[in-house]
Amino acid sequence: MKNIKYIYLLVFQLLTNTIFAQNQAPANSQTKAIALTGATIHTANGQVIENGVIVFNKGIITAVGNETTTYDKANTETIDLKGKSIYPGLISPANELGLTEINAVRATNDMAEVGGINPHVRALIAYNTDSELIPTVRSNGILITQATPQGEIVAGMSSIMQMDGWNWEDAALKKDDGIHINWVGYFKRDFDQSTFTVSTKKNDKRDETLREVDKTFNDAIAYSQAKSSVTNVKMEAMRGLFDGSKILYISADYGKEIIEAVQFAKSKGVKKIVIIGAEESLLAADFLKENNIPVIVSATHRLPNSADDDTDISYKLPYLLAQKGILVGLGYIGLNWRTRNLPFLAGIVAGHGMDKEDALKLITANNAKILGIDKMVGTLEVGKHATLIVSAGDVLDMRTAKVEHAFIQGRKVDLDDKQKRLYRKYSEKYGTK
Amino acid sequence: MKKLFITLLNLFLLSPLIFSQTQTFPRNGVQDERFDLYAFTNATIITDANTTVEGATLIIRGSVIESVGKGISIPQGATIVDLKGKRIYPSFVESYSNYGQPEPVRQGAGGFRGDPQPESKKKGAYNWNQAINPEIDADKVFTVNNGLAEDLRKAGFGSAIVHTQDGIVRGTSALVALMDGKEQDALLKSRVSSHYSFSKGTSTQDYPSSLMGSVALLRQTFYDADWYKKAKGKNEFNISLDAFNNNQGIPQVFEVSDKLGVLRANKIGKEFGIQYVIKGMGDEYQRLDEVKAAGVSLILPINYPITPDVEDPFDEKIVLLTDMKHWEMAPANAGILAKAGINFALTTSNLKSKSDFMANLRKAIENGLEEKTALAALTSTPASMMKVDNLVGSLKSGMMANFLITSDNIFKDGNVIYENWIKGKRYVLSDMNVKDVRGNYDLTINDNAKLKLNVTGKSDKPEYQIVVTDSIKVTPKVSRTGDMLTILYKLDAKKDKGEARVAAYYDGKNIVGQGISADGKPISFVANFKEAMKETPAKPDTARKAKIEMGKLVYPFNGYGSETKPQAETILVKNATVWTNESTGVVQNADVLIQNGKIAQFGKNLSSVGAKVIDGTGKHLTNGIFDEHSHIALFTINEGSQSVTSEVRMEDVINSEDINIYRQLAGGVTSSQLLHGSANCIGGQSAIIKLKWGEAPDALKIPNMDGFIKFALGENVKQANWGDRARVRFPQTRMGVEQIMMDAFLRAKEYEKAMKNVSGLPVKRDLELDALVEILNKKRFITCHSYVQSEINMLLKVADSLGFKVNTFTHILEGYKVADKMKAHGANASTFSDWWAYKMEVKEAIPFNAALMTKVGVNTSINSDDAEMARRLNQEAAKTVMYGGMTEEQAWKMVTLNPAKMMHLDNRLGSIKVGKDADVVLWNNNPLSVYAKPEKVIIDGAIYFDLEKDKMLRATIASERNRLIQKMLASKAGGNPTAKPEMKKPKLMHCNSEGDIYSEETNHEHND
Repeated sequence: MKNIKYIYLLVFQLLTNTIFAQNQAPANSQTKAIALTGATIHTANGQVIENGVIVFNKGIITAVGNETTTYDKANTETIDLKGKSIYPGLISPANELGLTEINAVRATNDMAEVGGINPHVRALIAYNTDSELIPTVRSNGILITQATPQGEIVAGMSSIMQMDGWNWEDAALKKDDGIHINWVGYFKRDFDQSTFTVSTKKNDKRDETLREVDKTFNDAIAYSQAKSSVTNVKMEAMRGLFDGSKILYISADYGKEIIEAVQFAKSKGVKKIVIIGAEESLLAADFLKENNIPVIVSATHRLPNSADDDTDISYKLPYLLAQKGILVGLGYIGLNWRTRNLPFLAGIVAGHGMDKEDALKLITANNAKILGIDKMVGTLEVGKHATLIVSAGDVLDMRTAKVEHAFIQGRKVDLDDKQKRLYRKYSEKYGTK
Repeated sequence: MKKLFITLLNLFLLSPLIFSQTQTFPRNGVQDERFDLYAFTNATIITDANTTVEGATLIIRGSVIESVGKGISIPQGATIVDLKGKRIYPSFVESYSNYGQPEPVRQGAGGFRGDPQPESKKKGAYNWNQAINPEIDADKVFTVNNGLAEDLRKAGFGSAIVHTQDGIVRGTSALVALMDGKEQDALLKSRVSSHYSFSKGTSTQDYPSSLMGSVALLRQTFYDADWYKKAKGKNEFNISLDAFNNNQGIPQVFEVSDKLGVLRANKIGKEFGIQYVIKGMGDEYQRLDEVKAAGVSLILPINYPITPDVEDPFDEKIVLLTDMKHWEMAPANAGILAKAGINFALTTSNLKSKSDFMANLRKAIENGLEEKTALAALTSTPASMMKVDNLVGSLKSGMMANFLITSDNIFKDGNVIYENWIKGKRYVLSDMNVKDVRGNYDLTINDNAKLKLNVTGKSDKPEYQIVVTDSIKVTPKVSRTGDMLTILYKLDAKKDKGEARVAAYYDGKNIVGQGISADGKPISFVANFKEAMKETPAKPDTARKAKIEMGKLVYPFNGYGSETKPQAETILVKNATVWTNESTGVVQNADVLIQNGKIAQFGKNLSSVGAKVIDGTGKHLTNGIFDEHSHIALFTINEGSQSVTSEVRMEDVINSEDINIYRQLAGGVTSSQLLHGSANCIGGQSAIIKLKWGEAPDALKIPNMDGFIKFALGENVKQANWGDRARVRFPQTRMGVEQIMMDAFLRAKEYEKAMKNVSGLPVKRDLELDALVEILNKKRFITCHSYVQSEINMLLKVADSLGFKVNTFTHILEGYKVADKMKAHGANASTFSDWWAYKMEVKEAIPFNAALMTKVGVNTSINSDDAEMARRLNQEAAKTVMYGGMTEEQAWKMVTLNPAKMMHLDNRLGSIKVGKDADVVLWNNNPLSVYAKPEKVIIDGAIYFDLEKDKMLRATIASERNRLIQKMLASKAGGNPTAKPEMKKPKLMHCNSEGDIYSEETNHEHND
């Protein structure tokens, strides 16, 4: 009998390999309360609860606490996770996951629209819930992504997506949350073929572009104030910037650009401003603090921009900015498959001075606050979504980061993906384990 | 009367028709032969840099020096020119110029900007490659350009060695006099020297597209020429190869674009028994020891960087310390080289304006260059270097009459070069016969006799002042032609309605004239000489006397460089957790003794007298990381112009100054295989280095090891993602890739056979096939860029059928699909931890690849292929624990022992075992942890990275930047021109992006 069962399992597994050439189905809604017990809970509000209990029902966290936490055990499915760690689902801002499948194949690229001023284009629409990349990123605990257009100047509108869903409507956590603008660079790069050198010089030709951006904002202000019989979709899209319903995300790295861009946005009456990139922002740190501007810092996995920089400047930049009192998030800006390494971006910051729980916040609580979704996600607190992960150990360290369970709004997500299926397929071929 | 004669002479001299010495032209008018015999007497004559004769005479006849010295008799018929108080120098010799040569013109777009061009556009029986032009002789294309000649004459030059500066092999130069008139007169000697460079110039042909391609092409040309010579024209008629052979035996001059180019060119010279004279870039001091050891003679430019504008503390950040330091030290280059005993000539080449030459030369002297050396570097040195010292460069009987008449020491600020005589022809730069009008005069204008006129300043630029009263002093506008003066003045600023105008003459003592006042009335103007100008004692020359503040010379020449290169020490690491990579595994509380660059002892409670003891308590000691796939420390990556380029060598383009070496040391990397790119099927030969930061390129290489070479398959070699233009080069499919591989090795086999056959016509040595023969003979080993299983399988079959092995598949993202076949073949695998989805051929890549291949039994490593990722290869290795369940020891071997094995170096590297190289890293944590940081990195027993020293270096960078910024601000305040801040760095890949400064770094999506 036992043998038959094994054969049955084997056949089933072979079938699954062929049947699931497509991504597995999204999870069903939570029907019964779930309690996770025995694990170390990192709430991302600074608390670490050993041997903790977290209970959630109908997608919402109903209790978080230590082993003495009480809940209706009869009507709750209790999962013992002794030795494991629980974290909020990780949040990936300013990303192009779902907007492109294979960068080198043009037909799969839906992240950058033609033309310089495109406040009206919506990343949401192109977000492909059937992307084979999404499950691989989700496998490492990233459960929320901000699908973000990567156009030229005014790139378009982002939306915040849950990484499980039948379609974009289904997956959207917050639609059209903000408009993304790439600030025009102070410096430009030129390549000289004769010497094979790249030179970085002041960009003297930026005024024209800046004037166009200025005009666009002036026109949008006028449009939002006056009643027009004709609807202008671009102007319509920008309306929310002035009433605070949309965030203005400005990509700028260099201190001067940051100051200039923020001054510009404020002068136009933009209510919520976020700086993205901020690689050379230390000189503008006081300004950012005084103006209460949060930043989403580029991936820490990058080379310093100058040979004179500290070799580890990109590893510690989020920490240095946070020390100044700035609200700092962290993301794989404009990248896709790589985003599965998001926890390690934060891990390396912790390796360079930052407290581990603070480093965790960079990719959870802080990102949620900056994106304006902190009432729903980002920390493990009662009333917030049960969007969380269970890992074998420290999720910031690749040795122990293996994610074993994930819940999005209480739905238990299938953590399988194409790569794991291929792994199983070939492990069987070779008879390896 | 004499005055008149000189004036007339002047007039005649300037008329080319009369003066023409050309003998072969028909004459327009009557015969007009003259003596053309001059005696310059009472001069201080500097006959060469080492000899000065006071009160001497120089006699020239026609274009040649007849005699020079003291107390020589003046022949009859000589025109005597008294030069009392003046000096005569040999005119300077410009050793590196394109004067009078046609401007090379680029035909069409070419390169990666245009359509592919596999063949030369030059029609005729010339070299196959457009950048090889030995047949161009400068004398044949030389034309006089008086405007340009005059610029050089004004700077003191009398002759120049000129050639057409275009291409890798450039033909011969000619020595020309910097005269106006006919080419027949100006040309002094043809085929003076033969010229080379690494730059393909205006050639639009695809090959070579890289620096290592240029090296390979030049080396191959030597072999081609040798073959051509031996075959004595029985094989083909080739004008270029014929010229190449003929151009040997005269001075060989190589132009390079930086200090490492000096070493690179010298190495080629050594290979073919040639001592090149090397035209440098002015940064040679940055590799002083190596340049000195090369024993080369140099031609040095003296152009200096413009002061960067660093006023803005934001913008200033993009100016690198290396550039700031060079700004400070560039003027000291010549002086530093001279002190080291390096022989060099100085050139005006690279100067934007030749008129800057003297000022820059004085700067070099202020910065330590001795005047004597400077003079030699402009006269005798270039002349003897280029073997024209029988014609120019010193003042001796029989030499060309090329000399300068100066007011003073030629290097002294304020010296005037009066005349530059070239081939006996007089060029007046400043009239030395103009009388000195300086002095104090009593001035009477009409009936006002209380005035004074004081003339001060320099004799050739006097300054005039009219003293009306003690408190009113007027500066008149004076222009002078010979002894005639035009004087404009306004004595009373309020009353006078305009300027009074006077035309006056100087009679040798007084200045007398008449003119018209502002209101139209006549003026009489009489200035009677009263006394000579009171010489105010010259201000002590503070610039020269003051000790010039100068930063330290560091290796490499940037912020993280050091004054001394690290040396091997005896080091005892105590009580560490040691990851041995041997059967002993990870050993707690162990000691490791390092001696003479090797691991001397391993055990517990070791002791060693005099060893530097490092406390390893709580720390982990491991081998250094070996990155099997790296492209750092290279000037160029791809010679992607042809499908087979096995002749190119990455060792020719190692950039030992790349900051990424230091950054990776800081990440625990100690060795790297620097690979050719993947733009073609058979790429170039690898350079395998240790990250010995501070050493020059050749000292980085790991000696006495097997050779390696890069192969590539798939999308890159078939140019799948290169746009619509790239649809010409074969192959465009994986079908074609197989055929390229088969064909290459079949050709190599035939070549090997032919080379052994000594009868018949000689066989041309072929560097491309040499490398393939080495593969067939197991002397060189393949690292093959590969992705999908079909192509991996293909190369295995090709290799099996031709009897060679594929040593390593790199990337090998679908290796997990054919791991069994790889194991059977004996191939190694070097892969990414988790990359995928960036192009079509990686859509089935899985992060479990490394683990799965390991489980099947393939020796597997994790590589970076990325300057950033290499800094945390320990973390990449750790991912194999997460993906596929490797043990920590297995994971760690993926970046240490396993790559050492695939590089055939596991007998020397890869584990902590007595006798192996002491390439170790001390970590503050488990090396696989995301929190781990190297504290010390040791290579061959020398400490190349130390966290404590790193802190000091950072502080030094800050303080040095600050010091230099203050110096630059002072320079700007002193009126020196400034340039916009700029950051320059070598670029590995094609990039022409505008926009955000940092966009490129963040966008490091894979191009490989």
